[in-house]
Amino acid sequence: MSEFLRILENEVQIVALSFMGTVYIIRLAWMFHFRAGQEVTMSAGDAKTGVAYSMMNVVMPWAMESARKNWSFYVQFVIFHLGVILGIAATFIIPYWPWLFDIGSVVVIFQIVLAAATAVGVIRLIRRIVNPVMRLISTPDDYFSLVVMTFFFASGVFAMPNTYEVSETPLIIFFIMTTFFLIYVPFSKISHYLYYPFTRYLLGKTMGHRGVFPRRRGGELPAGLE
Amino acid sequence: MNDKAIDILDVINLPLDTKEQERAVKENVPSVKEGKLKTYDPKGDNVKRLLGMLKTKLNRQIVGSMVGCVHCGMCTDSCHYALARPDDPTMTPVYKADQIRKVFKKHFDWTGRIVPWWVHAGDPVNDEDLNKLKNIVFGTCTACRRCTLNCPMGVDTATLVRLSRSLLTELGIVPEGVFAVSRDQWETGNQMGVSEADYLDTIEWMEEESQDELEDSSLKIPLDKEDCDFMYTVNPREIKYDPRPLGAAAKIFHLAGESWTMPKRGWDMTNFGLFSGDDTLGGFVANNLYEAARKLKARRIVISECGHGYRASRWEGYNWAKHAQDTPSESVLVTLIRYINEGRITVDPSKNSLPITFHDSCNLARSGDLTEEPRWLLKRICTDFREMYPNRADNFCCTGGGGALSMVEYKPLRMEAGKVKADQLAATGAKIVCTSCHNCVDGLTDVIKHYKLDMQVVQILELVENALVLPEKQETV
Repeated sequence: MSEFLRILENEVQIVALSFMGTVYIIRLAWMFHFRAGQEVTMSAGDAKTGVAYSMMNVVMPWAMESARKNWSFYVQFVIFHLGVILGIAATFIIPYWPWLFDIGSVVVIFQIVLAAATAVGVIRLIRRIVNPVMRLISTPDDYFSLVVMTFFFASGVFAMPNTYEVSETPLIIFFIMTTFFLIYVPFSKISHYLYYPFTRYLLGKTMGHRGVFPRRRGGELPAGLE
Repeated sequence: MNDKAIDILDVINLPLDTKEQERAVKENVPSVKEGKLKTYDPKGDNVKRLLGMLKTKLNRQIVGSMVGCVHCGMCTDSCHYALARPDDPTMTPVYKADQIRKVFKKHFDWTGRIVPWWVHAGDPVNDEDLNKLKNIVFGTCTACRRCTLNCPMGVDTATLVRLSRSLLTELGIVPEGVFAVSRDQWETGNQMGVSEADYLDTIEWMEEESQDELEDSSLKIPLDKEDCDFMYTVNPREIKYDPRPLGAAAKIFHLAGESWTMPKRGWDMTNFGLFSGDDTLGGFVANNLYEAARKLKARRIVISECGHGYRASRWEGYNWAKHAQDTPSESVLVTLIRYINEGRITVDPSKNSLPITFHDSCNLARSGDLTEEPRWLLKRICTDFREMYPNRADNFCCTGGGGALSMVEYKPLRMEAGKVKADQLAATGAKIVCTSCHNCVDGLTDVIKHYKLDMQVVQILELVENALVLPEKQETV
């Protein structure tokens, strides 16, 4: 392995990750400096249960009509985010546990998921361009984030075998993209995963307190008869 | 019925009408004079004022909703405006929320401050832009919160719409109806400007009517009676336009042997602050209620059938008034359940034999906890109850929410959006749609008339009253 690639996979990632972590800490401090709205009413439900229900929303597609009616969209969401998880995992596996990618089946799984995520990225990009609603609401950040994520997934497909002895180019591209993401993500919509716990927690807390979450499906006893 | 889709520009460009405001200023209306109710200043730098106020209104919940949106578009199918106008992308919840989100990004988001075009951050330029914002947030959204419940990120778009309304209300850039109703509520303590004399007359009238109907002169509608089990609070519509629900409640409470009262003041459980975004008005109105209950030493507050009234009085009002809840409150639906369950009243479902469906009000089902309560009652007071689909917290808005009924200039678009509701109603085959909200009564009535459906709208109290099995009278010797 060339020294350039070794540093790129290692020190450069550590610096970029530290930068992202620092920015995230500042961002979280900024979020927390806004006062939280207080609930001073007697509860009709349980805030903690509401929070748990709300947080688990992402793995309960049946709980939201928008996911039930657009199940293919939800499947795409799962694939896309599995691609994110495996892509990120690969950035740690390659430098620190490279032996994992000596296992053929592991490489194949990673490549299949990343290839599927690439396809979803393309589908989503077409949707954003073709659908009038998506065109109206999409910003340059939306398009750019989607394009670079799709390229990241695609580069990951070729980088996964980690065969630097054959060619370092796929790995160099993959890790340059990773570095770019670690610096860009905190300033882009991709950082939504940082906010997800907050928005879901706050919504769940209110809705749980008010007895709206977990959602009632019918047959529950009415108030006063529980 | 006009099938042609409305040109949205006709709505967005509706001019700001300030006749009511000018009249209020001329008449030296106290709430305007004291600065509680704001009027439009055409000479003021309203954009600058809006930007200054935005910072003061941000809390963690709002900021989360501002930054959490990923523009996935999943909210599109949840909105009755967007579904009724599929070729109009400006009807989507995300677009409406983005009108205030872009301002937030310009001033509070790093990327938005440095590279605003990258994230479509931007400010309104002048009062014309603010007026367009007014038409969007008041005229193309009923704040039904269906989008909130369908957002994978948990973005509360309805709260962002309310935030926008609150900023515009502070500037007096509001529809005339919003100003007029807010003024009434500030000045008279109730949304419809009902005077104390009219209120007392109506109470007396309904007391007499109910006595006659039950042939029981011992039936009373107590006023300001202390130390009762509950203080009953109503929607001014029940005083001004249709007091039958009040009469029905009086009969039922009497038959149940209830210890109850209505207050002379602080009887209006509705709250226009919820619709206008004015937390100060919201706190003032809600506190009237809470103070009345405290003064009368009522053991609880019972709220008659009203979606936004329930939400405002049971939930939001305490937060606006910054007043920890000290008196339990419940919807009259819960009271009715108690009576039937304890055998204090007897009902015969065969007295309501027409097919009935139930419309879940947004503020009861999505912002409140009442979905099973009306159903428990309906299964005991009618013989042919049919669900509409979707229902409960997934139900569609009646189109009358968010103060829409007071904003007549937006009615054509509202009726167009009502197609979704009309289709829901028609699919049930029911002759009666029951709801537990006065706004929904009017909203549904508008939809039924517009789409020529063969249905009528009733509320739960009316059905319970109809189903009552009156105790046999003892013959006096």
